[in-house]
Amino acid sequence: MTLSSSQFMSMPLKGNLEEYFNIFIFMAVAFGISLFLVLLSFWRGPKRPDAEKLSAYECGFEAFSDARLKFDVRFYLVAILFIIFDLEIAFLFPWAVSLKSIGLFGFFSMLLFLGTLGIGFVYEWRKGALEWE
Amino acid sequence: MTTTTLIFYILSGVLLSSAVMVVTTKNTVYGVLFLILAFFNAAGLFILAHAEFLAMILIVVYVGAVAVLFLFVVMMVNMETKKSQRMDRRYLLMGIFVGGVLVLELVVVFMSWNTSPEAFELIFAPQDGLSNTHALGALLYTHYALIFQAAGLILLIAMIGAIILTLRQRENVLKQKIGDQLARQAKDSVQMVDISPTSSFRNLESLDDSATPRGRTSRVS
Amino acid sequence: MGGAYLPDLTLVLPEGILVVTAFLILMTGVFRKSTNPQVQQRFGHVALSGLIVALGALIFYHHPAERWISFEGQLLQDDFVYLGKILILSGSAAVVGISLASMLKEHLLSFEYCALILLATVGMLLMVGANDFLSLFMGLEIQSLSLYVLVALKRDQTIASEAALKYFVLGALATCFYLYGASLMYGFSGSTNFEAIATIIRMESAGNFPLSLFMSLIFIMASFSFKISAVPFHMWTPDVYQGSPTPITAFIAATPKIAAMLVFLRLMLEPFMTLYDEWQSLVAFLSLFSMVLGAFAALRQTDLKRLLAYSAIGQMGYMLLGVVAGTDEGIQAVLIYLTLYLVMIIGTFACLLCLRGKGSYGVQNIEDLAGISTLHPKVSFALAIFMFSLAGIPPLGGFFAKLYIFKAALSAGFFGLAIAGALASVVAAYYYLKIVKVMYFDDAPKVPSASYGQIVVLPLKMALILNACALVTLLFFVFPNPILEIVQRAAFTFSG
Repeated sequence: MTLSSSQFMSMPLKGNLEEYFNIFIFMAVAFGISLFLVLLSFWRGPKRPDAEKLSAYECGFEAFSDARLKFDVRFYLVAILFIIFDLEIAFLFPWAVSLKSIGLFGFFSMLLFLGTLGIGFVYEWRKGALEWE
Repeated sequence: MTTTTLIFYILSGVLLSSAVMVVTTKNTVYGVLFLILAFFNAAGLFILAHAEFLAMILIVVYVGAVAVLFLFVVMMVNMETKKSQRMDRRYLLMGIFVGGVLVLELVVVFMSWNTSPEAFELIFAPQDGLSNTHALGALLYTHYALIFQAAGLILLIAMIGAIILTLRQRENVLKQKIGDQLARQAKDSVQMVDISPTSSFRNLESLDDSATPRGRTSRVS
Repeated sequence: MGGAYLPDLTLVLPEGILVVTAFLILMTGVFRKSTNPQVQQRFGHVALSGLIVALGALIFYHHPAERWISFEGQLLQDDFVYLGKILILSGSAAVVGISLASMLKEHLLSFEYCALILLATVGMLLMVGANDFLSLFMGLEIQSLSLYVLVALKRDQTIASEAALKYFVLGALATCFYLYGASLMYGFSGSTNFEAIATIIRMESAGNFPLSLFMSLIFIMASFSFKISAVPFHMWTPDVYQGSPTPITAFIAATPKIAAMLVFLRLMLEPFMTLYDEWQSLVAFLSLFSMVLGAFAALRQTDLKRLLAYSAIGQMGYMLLGVVAGTDEGIQAVLIYLTLYLVMIIGTFACLLCLRGKGSYGVQNIEDLAGISTLHPKVSFALAIFMFSLAGIPPLGGFFAKLYIFKAALSAGFFGLAIAGALASVVAAYYYLKIVKVMYFDDAPKVPSASYGQIVVLPLKMALILNACALVTLLFFVFPNPILEIVQRAAFTFSG
C-alpha cells in the first residue's frame, strides 16, 4: 500500500489539543491587549507632525556616524558558549523524565555526556574564556 | 478537524511569510526578529503534530540562544547596506537559478510522492500513554546512546573551536584576582605608624612603598 | 529495554581510546599552560601513542569474516570497515608524526591541535563504521567540524581565514544536501538503517522506482562528491589546500579523503546497489570530469599545494572509475588505489614538510625546489619516487594501482572511460615530471626566496615514515601480497 500526495494531504491532523486551550486564550488576550493599546494611541494620541521632530536633537550638529557600533567578538564567544550549555540542558529534560525506564545504562550514558561537556567546561574556564577583563 | 486545520494554515502562513521577510528585509536586525517569529510559528506547528518537546526546545534553544547569537553577529558585522546592494545584482540571477532548481525538485518529488506504509506510522509522535518527552528519553539514552555521545563530542569540538578562533588574551589589562583579594590580610597591608609631630613627610612615603598593595588589582603581563 | 541493556562496547574501543587520549591531552594541556616547545611536542607524542594503541585494539578485537554489529545496528565492523579503519588510524598517526616538527616551526603546535586531530579521526572511524544514516551524519559532523577549526588555526593570516570560511560554508552546504537526501530516504523507506533501506529498495519492482528515491540518491551522492572533491563539487579543494598550513593540508589530503571514499563506496554498494543502472552513469560522469580537470587544470599551477589539490581531484577520478565498474574486481582496485594513494600522499607531504626555507617558511612554489637534488639528494630522490608513482610510471606502486583500475573498467565494459582515463594520466604525467625536472635539472637560484627549501628538518619519526612510504611505493610490485590479501577479504564483504 502506498499513498499518493493527494491522499497524504487529506489526512486529518490528529485533533485533541484541548490542553492547549488555556495557552491559546492567554495568547489571544495578549495579542488583543497589545493590538488595542497600539490602536488606542494611534486613534486618540495627539498628532502634530513637524519636520524638526525627526531631526537630530541636542546642540545642533548632525550625527558623525551611525549609532550602531560594532560589537566586540567576545560577545559572540559568550553567546556560543551559552548555546552549547543550553543544548546540554535540553538533553537533560527527557533524561530526567524517563530516568526510571532507561536503567543504569541510560543513567551512565548521560553521565558520560555530562563528563564530555564537563571537560569542555574545565577547558574554557582554565583557558580564561569566561573572564571579562 | 476544522479548527486544527485552520490553526495549521494560520501558523504556516505566518511562518512562510516571515521566512520570506528574513531574506528580503533590508535591515538585518528586523531580519533576525522575523526569524524569531518564524521559530515561534514552527513551534506551534510542532505542537499541532504532538511533538511538544521539540516545540519547547525550539523556543528555549533557538529563540533563547540562537537568535541572540544571530543578533550579536549582526551587530558585529559592519553593515554597509549601500555597498552590498551592488553585489546583490550579480548574484541574484545565479541565486534564483539554483533556488529554482531546488524548488522544482521539491515540487517534482512531491507530485510523485509515494510513501511506504511503514513510514506512515511515523508521521505523528507516538502517543501510547507516554508523553512525548518520555518517549524520546526512553530511546535517546539507550537505543541511540552512540549518537547521543557523538552529539556530546560535537558540542565539545564546537566549544574548543570557538575558543581557539575567537579568544584573544589581552595584555596589560586590569583583572580581578578573587583569590588574592580574599586572601588579603589586614596585617599585610596596613601598618600602624606612630607619627611624632617632629617627623617629616618624607619618612612616611618610604613606609608606604614597603607595604605594597598586594592583590587588590594587579597588572597581568 | 530494562536495566540489562548493554550494547557491545568493544566495537567502539578504538574510538574510545582516541577520545580518552584527546580528553587527557586537553586537560593536561590546559592545566600546564606551558608554551615550551618540548612540552607541546610531548602532547604530539601522546596523540601518536593514542593512535597506535587504538590501532592495536582494533586489530586485537577484530572478528575476521564476520559482520559485527552493535548499537542496535547503527555501527558495524566487517573486513571492509576493518581495512578502512586501519588505513585511517595509520594515516592519522603518520600525519601526526610528520607534522610535529613543522607545526613547531610555524608556531602552530598546541595541545588543541593534537586533540582536534584525534577527534577528527574519531569522526572518520564512525563514518566508516556507520551502518545507519544517523551515525554516518554524526561521524561526518565530528570530522568536518574539527577540520574547519584546524584549517582556521592560523587565524591571523588572511589566506587561511579565507580558506577556512570557504571550506566551512561549502562543507555546511554539502552537509545540508546530505540531510536533505537522507530525510527523503527516511520518508521513502521509514528507516535510516542501511540494511533495511537495501531490503526496501530491493522489494520495489525494478524500473519503477519513485522519483523521491532518485532525488535522495542524487543529493547524497552530491554531498559525498563534495567530500571527496569530485569534479562539479571540487571548487573548494585548491583554495583550502593552499590556504591551510601545510601540515594540515597533509591531513586533509590523506585521511578524510579515504574515509569519504570508503563511505561513498559502501553507500553505492549496499543501500543503493539495486539502483546500479541508475547511478553508474552519474558516477561515470563524476569520474570522467575529475580525471580530465585534474589533468588539465594542474598544468598551469605554480603553487605546489594547489597542484597537489588538482592532482588529488584527478586521483579521485581514477578511483571513481573503479566504483563505476561496480564489480568485485572494481572494488578491489579502488581499495588498492586508496591504500597506495594514502602512502604516496603522506610520503609527498613528508618531503615537502622536511624541506624548509628561511625562518618558518615551508616550500610553496615549484621554483622553491629548483636544484634541490644537489643540496638534499635523499629527500629529492624520495620525492621523485612519489611523483613518478603518482604519475603512474611502471615499476612503482601508482602504476599498478592505475593498472588494476583500468583492468576492472575494461572487463566491466567501460572502454571509453578507460581510454579517457589513460589519456588523462598521460597529460597528468607532465606536471608530475615537471617537478622532478625542476628538482634535478634546474639550477638553484642565485638569490633564493624566503621559502626556498634549503634547510632540511628531518627528525627520526619523519625519516622512518618517509622511508616506509618510499619502500611501499617502490616494492609493491615485488611483495604485493599483504595488501592484496587484505583488500580481497575486504571486497569479499560485498560479493559474499
